Amino acid sequence: MILFDNVSKLYPTQNQAALDSLSLEIEKGEFVFLVGPSGSGKSTFLRLTLREEKPTAGRIRVAGKDLHRLSNWKVPHLRRRIGTVFQDFRLLPNKTVFENIAFALQVIGKPRRQINRDVPAVLELVGLDGKEDRLPDQLSGGEQQRVAVARAFVNRPLILLADEPTGNLDPATSVGIMKLLDRINRTGTTVVMATHDQSIVDQMRKRVIELEHGKLVRDQSRGVYGYTR
Amino acid sequence: MRFQYVLSEITTGLRRNLTMTIALVIVVAISIAMLGAGLLIRSQADTTKGYWYDRIEISVFMCNEFSTGAGCADGAVTDAQRDTIRQTLESHPEVDEVFYENQEQAFERFSEQFDDSDIGGIITPDQLPESFRVALRDPEEYDGVVSAVSGLPGVQEVTDQRQLLEPLFRTLDGFQLVAFAITVIQIIAAVLLIGNTIRLAAFNRRRETGIMRLVGASNFYIQLPFILEAAIAGLLGSVLGVIALFVGVELIVGRFIAPNLQFTSWVDSADVWAATPWLLVAGVLFSMLASFITLRRYLRV
Ligand SMILES: Nc1ncnc2c1ncn2[C@@H]1O[C@H](COP(=O)(O)OP(=O)(O)O)[C@@H](O)[C@H]1O
Ligand SMILES: [Mg+2]
Repeated sequence: MILFDNVSKLYPTQNQAALDSLSLEIEKGEFVFLVGPSGSGKSTFLRLTLREEKPTAGRIRVAGKDLHRLSNWKVPHLRRRIGTVFQDFRLLPNKTVFENIAFALQVIGKPRRQINRDVPAVLELVGLDGKEDRLPDQLSGGEQQRVAVARAFVNRPLILLADEPTGNLDPATSVGIMKLLDRINRTGTTVVMATHDQSIVDQMRKRVIELEHGKLVRDQSRGVYGYTR
Repeated sequence: MRFQYVLSEITTGLRRNLTMTIALVIVVAISIAMLGAGLLIRSQADTTKGYWYDRIEISVFMCNEFSTGAGCADGAVTDAQRDTIRQTLESHPEVDEVFYENQEQAFERFSEQFDDSDIGGIITPDQLPESFRVALRDPEEYDGVVSAVSGLPGVQEVTDQRQLLEPLFRTLDGFQLVAFAITVIQIIAAVLLIGNTIRLAAFNRRRETGIMRLVGASNFYIQLPFILEAAIAGLLGSVLGVIALFVGVELIVGRFIAPNLQFTSWVDSADVWAATPWLLVAGVLFSMLASFITLRRYLRV
């Protein structure tokens, strides 16, 4: 589903590579934690997968597409098959829960019929039915992140990328979000989650990929956050 | 759905950036009024030129028995020489029409011109030259005709009024050039200003556009609301600009210039009407183009 073949990324303003000859493969339906200290290249990995950045060297394949050969105007179609969730939720403050999720479908030209069918369904999946008319600032952090997950998932993507989705949430709320991501993973969606959260990684016992200075230092199935702890 | 979405995006966008929208409308209005004024000045210069061009002709004076000079060594022009000159003129591609004026006709015209003076009494017809009056197809192209007949035997002198009017034409050309330069500068300024406005609008809505990119909206879908906003502001602005132009022509040319200066015909509101469709199209197109170019740089995938 995601293949990195000897990928390096050097940002123009930096002199140290954000990713350094990284090779790894993530299969369809996997749940993968991306761990490592701040600045180790986790977000860069996710941005390259989304084709928000291009690699300096190496080859990337996502959902059967060779990103190197993907022309600019086809990038939106790639992104429709990938859902994304961030630490800061990225909701539109002047739109309701329903409208925030509907927005993601409207802007890719989905018909109203489909929106009226899919949005309530995904709201029920994330446990927010009954709150569709609230504005984001009338929701708790955990609920806002559920809206973001719903928006990322409403179009039934092949891949869900999450960049520290629990970074702004307390431990109890984080567990709820993790259960949600696990449920989404069980529908067959590949989930890649960058995180700092040791206890979550230790509890879930999923594949762990650890980066340091942009290099792969560990790739372990059913792993924990770190050896030393 | 799509249409409704686009429509609501545009109206919220225009409302949210109300001050910028007003600025945009004013900039476009001024630019279109200037552009229109430039076009009117051009067409005014053209009308004036045309007015004078119609009166331009070349005169080919032929020798009489008193003539001196290289072409007149054999005395008065002979019938054979006159035929050669006429044939040369009539077969020349730049010549439109040729009129012949004999000595008697020349004397009549001369007498009319100097009706009140005593000269009429002293001059006799045989002292005046007979001539061909030549109307040209293109008044700019007189050189060829002049040199074709200048050296012929029996030709005393070739004169063309073009030389007299040269300074007037040069002034008109200058006017056209200045009007053109002002128009170009104005368009550049307008495009830059529109671009800047749209950039600000894009910056104000970077949260929305960021999410749109993330969920895979196409560039076209992301940019469409901005471009349509620019088009609407462009249309409003050009309508205002055209109205200003009508008022300007009516007040300045209609009330002041045309009644007082009658040596040519002046532009009027009919000319503004004729230019109106072009000005509206130009206002809308330039606004859309400027926003499109800006967005290509600031809203990339
Ligand atoms: N847009 C950018 N421009 C320049 N340098 C960047 C940019 N984004 C990230 N970096 C650098 O790349 C390295 C990896 O960053 P990042 O991928 O964000 O790490 P992480 O998400 O693991 O904290 C860091 O040294 C960071 O400073
Ligand atoms: Mg990061």
